[in-house]
Amino acid sequence: MSGAASVQVLDFACGVFLLAGVGALWRRALSAVIGLLAVQGAALAVVAAALGADEHHPELYAVAAGVGVLRAGVLPGLARRALAASGEDRESEPLVNVASSLLVAAALVLLAYAVAQPLARLEGSQGSRALPVGLASVLIGLFMLVARRKALSQVAGFLLLDNGITAVAFLAAAGVPLLVEIGVSFDLLLVVLVLRVLTVRMQSAFGTTDLDDLRELHD
Amino acid sequence: MNTLLLLAPIVVPAAASGAYLVLGWRRSTAHLGTASAALIFVVGVMLAVRTVRDGGFDALSGWLSGDPLAGFLLMVIGAVAVVACAASRGYLAGERADGHGDGPGERRYAVLVQAFLAAMACAVVAGNLGLIWVAIEATTTVTAFLVGHKRSRAAVEAAWKYVVICSVGIALALLGIVILYAAARHAGLSEASALDFDALAGHARRLDPAATRMAIALIVLGFGAKAGLAPLHSWLPDAHSQAPAPVSALMSGVLLSVSFSVILRTKQVADAALGAGFVRALLLIAALATLTVAALLLIGQRDFKRMLAYSSMEHMGLMALGAAAGTPLALSAVLLHIAGHGLGKAVAFCSSGQILHAEHTSRIEDVTGLAARAPVLAGTFGAAVLVLLGFPPFSLFASEVGIARAGFAAGLGWPTAAAFALMLVAFAAIGAHTLRMLAGPDPLHGSAPGSGAALRAQAPLISALLVVAVIGVAAWPLAHLLSAAAPVSIPWSTR
Amino acid sequence: MSGTMVTGTTTTGAGIAVSVLQVALTVVGAPLLVGMMRQVRARMEGRAGAGVGQPWRDLRKLMRKKPLDPHGTGPVFRTAPLIQVATTLMVAAAIPFVSVDTGVGEAADLIAVVALLTLGTAALALAGLDTGTAFGGMGASREMTITALAEPTVLMAAFALSTRVGSTNLPAIVDAGLKDAGRVVSPVSVLAAFALAAVVLAEAGRLPVDNPSTHLELTMVHEAMVLEYSGPDLALVELAAAMRLSVLLGLWSALFLPWGTATSTGVLAVLGATALFVVKVGVLGAVLAAGEVFMAKLRLFRVPELLAGSFLLAVLAVAASFFLE
Repeated sequence: MSGAASVQVLDFACGVFLLAGVGALWRRALSAVIGLLAVQGAALAVVAAALGADEHHPELYAVAAGVGVLRAGVLPGLARRALAASGEDRESEPLVNVASSLLVAAALVLLAYAVAQPLARLEGSQGSRALPVGLASVLIGLFMLVARRKALSQVAGFLLLDNGITAVAFLAAAGVPLLVEIGVSFDLLLVVLVLRVLTVRMQSAFGTTDLDDLRELHD
Repeated sequence: MNTLLLLAPIVVPAAASGAYLVLGWRRSTAHLGTASAALIFVVGVMLAVRTVRDGGFDALSGWLSGDPLAGFLLMVIGAVAVVACAASRGYLAGERADGHGDGPGERRYAVLVQAFLAAMACAVVAGNLGLIWVAIEATTTVTAFLVGHKRSRAAVEAAWKYVVICSVGIALALLGIVILYAAARHAGLSEASALDFDALAGHARRLDPAATRMAIALIVLGFGAKAGLAPLHSWLPDAHSQAPAPVSALMSGVLLSVSFSVILRTKQVADAALGAGFVRALLLIAALATLTVAALLLIGQRDFKRMLAYSSMEHMGLMALGAAAGTPLALSAVLLHIAGHGLGKAVAFCSSGQILHAEHTSRIEDVTGLAARAPVLAGTFGAAVLVLLGFPPFSLFASEVGIARAGFAAGLGWPTAAAFALMLVAFAAIGAHTLRMLAGPDPLHGSAPGSGAALRAQAPLISALLVVAVIGVAAWPLAHLLSAAAPVSIPWSTR
Repeated sequence: MSGTMVTGTTTTGAGIAVSVLQVALTVVGAPLLVGMMRQVRARMEGRAGAGVGQPWRDLRKLMRKKPLDPHGTGPVFRTAPLIQVATTLMVAAAIPFVSVDTGVGEAADLIAVVALLTLGTAALALAGLDTGTAFGGMGASREMTITALAEPTVLMAAFALSTRVGSTNLPAIVDAGLKDAGRVVSPVSVLAAFALAAVVLAEAGRLPVDNPSTHLELTMVHEAMVLEYSGPDLALVELAAAMRLSVLLGLWSALFLPWGTATSTGVLAVLGATALFVVKVGVLGAVLAAGEVFMAKLRLFRVPELLAGSFLLAVLAVAASFFLE
């Protein structure tokens, strides 16, 4: 792949990454949200591969393959099975309605752009221009965590957050050391597994996965 | 030998975890966990002695690194884990007696506790910030099912909140680590050394200040979440009150401190890169916010396990204040506080678990006259609370005085005064609640169990209290180690 | 304004001829486009359909009827159809449908075009209020809500498209797209295209925002507003609505599918571009009609969601024009 072509692919993948992130906030059907997460994971893998081509870093191809398998395949698959177990497919009444959520997302994208300025100055690589894309996904994930009420929505928000962090790692520094990357991926997998089991337990203990019903513990 | 010294505290509990997975929890294997915990303590002592004498060292090409602080923390982990593992036998037996326990549940409990110890030891001896993150996040996933061990509605709720809030907080720390890594690579550090504390501190002046500031703020916020510091603290009272008592002891006694030690190490880098003011301001805000939350929620507290959890927050806030002061005296006092609080809180939680088992309630108002009904248990619990309140024979008195003196000396007069005013509120609240539980007439007129057997059962807890008293009266075994282990920042101006 | 522009800055006789051609094309073609879309829909639903010429036959019939004003309506009611037709014709003259060298030149500004279209909408909404009937008021309020929600998107998308050219001049934007094909397929363009597509649907009153063929009181928007018109006035309203649809589709295709638009006023180039323009708008209309077969109208309170989404896409387009270009 020539330099210019890899930059075009990188731009395109970053665009898809961001669109999938905001799309996850847009859709109410949780299965669609999980599908968008898979798209985002695939875009992340493409980002890694494009950076590998751009900076002649063959190791990144292997990382890209691993990221693709984990984030576009395994994690969405786990979330989908948890969804099937919980039997509730809609985020019926989010704390913040969808139209306002989308406006908030627009503001968050601009905020990410402002916040990324000191970081974009750091690196001269192709990726650092697109850093706001990763930060925007982090912020949207955080917003989803606080504004949605279904357990699965929180899992989705957490995955958005984590995809964003990984994107920042790729775009700012072409990825963290391999051993750390493997450890982080392993931890992420464990967290999603744990949350999946807890969703099932919540369903059997409370009869719903609505987080508003978690009111046993308070002062 | 060095490599072995650093690998042993990870491998031994991991092997014990594997052994429990194969053999299950039974009479013959019950002491295995305690033995592995004791070994962590011994390794900690050996590491401390060696590093105080010869200085720190790296192993496995920098992935692991030993220094006096690591040795000290391993000693605390080992000591608290011995208490908690010894108490686990009684806890599991009690569960079984109540008809809740079963074989697979006990096996899972034992496997996860040992894995938890391995992850904490890994976080302590890791030489790479990325690996530390992986280990700390591993403690979250490993303890999730321990928090949810009881499978009640409350336990599921606590486990969910625990995993989500801690994972999100720690993910923010990962973002900070990634940014710090990018800044370090930009400053010319190699891939292997860009997340190494010593290398980072050595090249701190070359780090981009704006990016480093953002990274440090995220790291303090993220590891602060795991250390129970505000604003991401809300998981703590839920998780600590729902987890089995020995697990609460481990989480409150050492896990909080282990995460906090990462902040201490990060502070060294940050102070070298940005000057002392930045992290000091962050820690002061976190300390005062944490203390305020803890003091206010302690006043009207109705649940004694939650009371102990908020007391942990109060002590973490105090440690943050000491770290903000940042002088060698302050940091030595913070480390002494880590040790004293770890043991004291372990005893308090373990005995609170016994109270819960005996009284079948965790509400303060439903437990009265405990001293008349079960004098040994009440004595242990009362003594542990005295430790936590900072009464003189125990080491927390010395460390609190040390932190207060250091705070005033560092020019933090007002924040220190405010913090100790809040401590006083917490002191009064905890004291009053505990008195209500222990004193008063015994409504049931139950007979005290045979005191000889009770004393034997409480032996680990009582000896832990004695240890706290000894290091409180004479800090000689630790004084040298504490001053060597304190991660003092090299002043900015002299670099 | 951009100094790199050569065409479109002066008003030439040939340019005026191009504008006249575009206006004529719009007036004649718009009802045929509507007829074609209805025909596509009918065929897909398994009906024979009334034929492509049916809208023109309807217009002819309405034109022959006697003008009739509802009791109590004023000049606002009577002039509104004329205003809407006039503004739409002006827009048709300004947008570079067939050639970037239109007779309007500098004035062919993206923001001016949007403002003219909104003026037509506002006039009709006032007419709806003027009738004093429940339906007129309801339709007007719904229409204005949708317009108000769509407007920020248009401005944002215009901003995103114009930053790269350094001008909001439509011929300049289309010209830049013609010269550098990479621009048109860039993420900025794609995002803006999706954002404006939602706006086109809303402004033209198509599904899923409004159903042009319904007369069910709970769901109509545009139809409720014009319920009191009859005879030649209704013919003008219908004609204006049809022209609006073709102008909006034409605007969208000029911005995002500029290929084939002539850069000169040569007779052959303009004729080729005209044919290509008819094909482009026809295909877009057919796609829209086919899509509508499978689409249900959104409930009114879900419309803000769609428009907020399109606004978000427009913001992303602006953001992307900063950090990806």
